[in-house]
Amino acid sequence: MAAPVPLEQRNMVLGKLGFWAQVAFLVAYIGVLSGAMFFFQFALNEQPCPLCITQRMGMMLSSLGAVYVLVQSLRSTLSTSGFMTGLGFSIVGALLGAFMSARQILLHIAPGDPGYGEAVFGLHLYSWALVSFVVVLVFAGVILVFGTEFTPIAPTSPAARRIVWIIIWIFVATVAINLVVVFVEEGFNLYLPDNPVRYELLYQLGILK
Amino acid sequence: MDPLVFALILAAALVIIFVRKRWVIVLSYSVAFLATAALFAHHVTDALNVSF
Repeated sequence: MAAPVPLEQRNMVLGKLGFWAQVAFLVAYIGVLSGAMFFFQFALNEQPCPLCITQRMGMMLSSLGAVYVLVQSLRSTLSTSGFMTGLGFSIVGALLGAFMSARQILLHIAPGDPGYGEAVFGLHLYSWALVSFVVVLVFAGVILVFGTEFTPIAPTSPAARRIVWIIIWIFVATVAINLVVVFVEEGFNLYLPDNPVRYELLYQLGILK
Repeated sequence: MDPLVFALILAAALVIIFVRKRWVIVLSYSVAFLATAALFAHHVTDALNVSF
């Protein structure tokens, strides 16, 4: 394993910029995942389809790269190879997610097809998901172009460090809430139906009839 | 299966936070990744109704 580059040999500004860029990446996906769940699923009562759920998983897998980089950086154990591991997590997660959203776009590409769910600014959520995955790929690609310049340097301020830890735990909570919500939607069935219209678990337990 | 895959992703996140051995982290991420890919493959059951 490559040793961490000594701090005095690093460009502090780019290192801190690299750190906060990873934080911004994580916050952005927390916002997207929370918006999809709390606004579209709960407020607008749009049940996510199986492919929508897999795209959420793709976003989470991609975000795990940022989580890895931030955790290692906060512990001052982030090596160059560790940074590459984190970026690799983000890239393969985004690639898988891009395949999923491209598949769903192609399912609804025929003329006259209304698409699945509400459109936001003219694009359906799965189209926006593809945009987000491409943005992640460009983000990781640009960082890799600069080699180790953007290897994150964590802030020394306890308040800033605490905020980042809170963001990391909000991400973990987002995954956990999605787990519970999808269990309620799927119930004791093995898979979600193609077009879910109700929360199966509530019917299976007799809470709703 | 979906809750199970979310559980694997959750486990990978917790491993990243609490475990320091990189091979354990990469292994847990890989398991979550493969499970997600397998779930996606399960839902791709029919040919697309498009022609170019």
